[in-house]
Amino acid sequence: MKMPSTKSLTELTTPFASITADLGQDVAWLKSLRLRALAQFNSQGLPAKKQEDWKYTSLWALSQQEFTHQPDVSTVSAAQCEQLALLSDNYRVVIVDGAFSAELSHLDNLQQGLTINVLSVEQGLATAQPHLGQQIDITKAGFNALNTLLMNEGFVITVDSDVQVEKTIEVLVINTGTTANLATHLRNVIVMADNSQLTVIEHYVGLTDEVSLTNVVTEAVLATNAQLNQYKLQQESSNAFHIATLAAKQGSKSQWKTNNISLGAKLARNDVHTQLLGEQSHVVMDGLYLVNNEQHVDNHTRIDHTVANTTSEELYKGVLDDNSHAVFNGKVIVHKDAQKTDANQQNKNLLISRGCEIDTKPEMEIYADDVKCAHGSTVGQINEDHLFFLRARGLDEVTARSLLTYAFAVEVLNRIPSVEIRQALSAVIEHRLPQGGV
Amino acid sequence: MLKIKNLHASVDGKEILRGINLTVNAGEVHAIMGPNGAGKSTLSNVLAGRDGYEITQGEVIYKDEDLLALAAEERAQRGVFLAFQYPVEIPGVSNIYLLKAALNAVRKQQGLDDLDAIDFLTLVRSKLELVKMDEEFLHRGVNEGFSGGEKKRNEILQMALLEPSLAILDETDSGLDIDALRTVSEGVNALRADDRSIVMITHYQRLLDYIVPDFVHVLSDGQIVKSGNKELAKELEKTGYSWVNEDA
Repeated sequence: MKMPSTKSLTELTTPFASITADLGQDVAWLKSLRLRALAQFNSQGLPAKKQEDWKYTSLWALSQQEFTHQPDVSTVSAAQCEQLALLSDNYRVVIVDGAFSAELSHLDNLQQGLTINVLSVEQGLATAQPHLGQQIDITKAGFNALNTLLMNEGFVITVDSDVQVEKTIEVLVINTGTTANLATHLRNVIVMADNSQLTVIEHYVGLTDEVSLTNVVTEAVLATNAQLNQYKLQQESSNAFHIATLAAKQGSKSQWKTNNISLGAKLARNDVHTQLLGEQSHVVMDGLYLVNNEQHVDNHTRIDHTVANTTSEELYKGVLDDNSHAVFNGKVIVHKDAQKTDANQQNKNLLISRGCEIDTKPEMEIYADDVKCAHGSTVGQINEDHLFFLRARGLDEVTARSLLTYAFAVEVLNRIPSVEIRQALSAVIEHRLPQGGV
Repeated sequence: MLKIKNLHASVDGKEILRGINLTVNAGEVHAIMGPNGAGKSTLSNVLAGRDGYEITQGEVIYKDEDLLALAAEERAQRGVFLAFQYPVEIPGVSNIYLLKAALNAVRKQQGLDDLDAIDFLTLVRSKLELVKMDEEFLHRGVNEGFSGGEKKRNEILQMALLEPSLAILDETDSGLDIDALRTVSEGVNALRADDRSIVMITHYQRLLDYIVPDFVHVLSDGQIVKSGNKELAKELEKTGYSWVNEDA
């Protein structure tokens, strides 16, 4: 039973038989999971603007598209892959047009205690099973239900107790643009045992201006004292729709450091959520968005401090040019037993043009009385004194503006501990500026 | 080097400079002194090309070119250097990056290639010595967390590297303790040359004990009301600025 050739997302609320994903049709638990997701999606559909969480992001353009879930054959060469990758000499998982490519991936000689699988192999699916749906709530967002209904591929990573993974894992998700209006629904799982350490970068690229939909859900679980650095770089095509949920649960003394960089896509929506469930757990939730033309990027974050002595640091920065539109909604919830919570949340925006729009809403809900919490947002322009200083040193105006924009953005990257990753991401940001390579 | 003729400039419709005349020849050091509100900072900003000033009359000729027709960066590329009264902090732009970009902008104007990394570093190190700055400063954000003295030394470091033809030092002594003033002054003195002119703008005579000018001008209410040699500055120190206005 295959997908019909193309369907708009709203049309997906048709009989189950015609829209089931290929993966795991003979796996009973998965079938029943998908059935629940279908029922959920049928009753709920896509989010609408009247929902508070989607107030500033319209899915009208997305709902008008017809998507296919059957990619044509495409080829990406190893050399091309090397060029696209952010890092070399690391573990690499490559997914091309929604399908895992073993040939392009670098998964030889994995460190003892580390497993990297994909959902489309039996072992990957089995490993993922107990964790699927644990970090997300399919009743809350239509895309999570849709993802559960249609997930076909994704990475499944586990790290055993006391294992510190030395190499970074780069997950390179390539949309070749060979198939018009291709939709891919990826489901990723990361399981970190006690005292384990890992760094993962999800890297989404588009090779053409073709319309596409990437709907991705990543669920991570961090046991006691686990450390997960999880970065994401999204540089899809200017006609891409990118919808992502990244959710974690954290045990005591665990550290989850995220950095979520959005450069591409016509419409990108990220929901990042963690629950700090164990004492002394810590989260860094950072992000950077650089948008221009008619791009729209929406970041919704949520941090739940549920127990005492947990800490969170959040910095989202944005640079908006042309007629772009960005939304930031950050929610920090300090539950009633979460005494001694220390939470800091900031959203800072730099507006380059008159036509852009930012809707920023930092929120804190505090139900405990002995906490240290700060939050704020700023919206500003290039500082004229800084600009004049650089021009008075001989830098032309375009270069000076680019340099100041870079300086604004790079603060977020400077919080990444790994020099290699920081430099690689900084280089990407530099090239994105009007005067590339400043 | 520099000829200012009957320069009038306004900010938001208010005339600040009301007919400045000044000629600075190559190799000369001129001090422009004056009370607060005389137009000292306006003059330095107008010469450096800052936006927001309307030139209503007069002209400024620099090396046979109409200086006022050039953008700020074009003036810098041609050898005009403004040492700022309040150097800005720019986190995220490293000092060494700024120095390199500034030097290469000047070299490009001169038809020279960019310096390679090694030559550049060798050059910068020699200039660091001049202003007694540690190499560590190169890798910090521009003026980020610098003390007042360090910021001013950083300005002189930039000047030393760029080797301008015309340096305008805007209140370089402000906010400096005596040791920092000495270091900065020694840096400037080392940069005095036959082909380089320096215009020092200052409120106090103190700076002129360290950087001895060839000429001293008194700016008051947007005009140069008196010119003389270094003795004029000493006179001002004794009597203040009040007599200047009466005299004028």
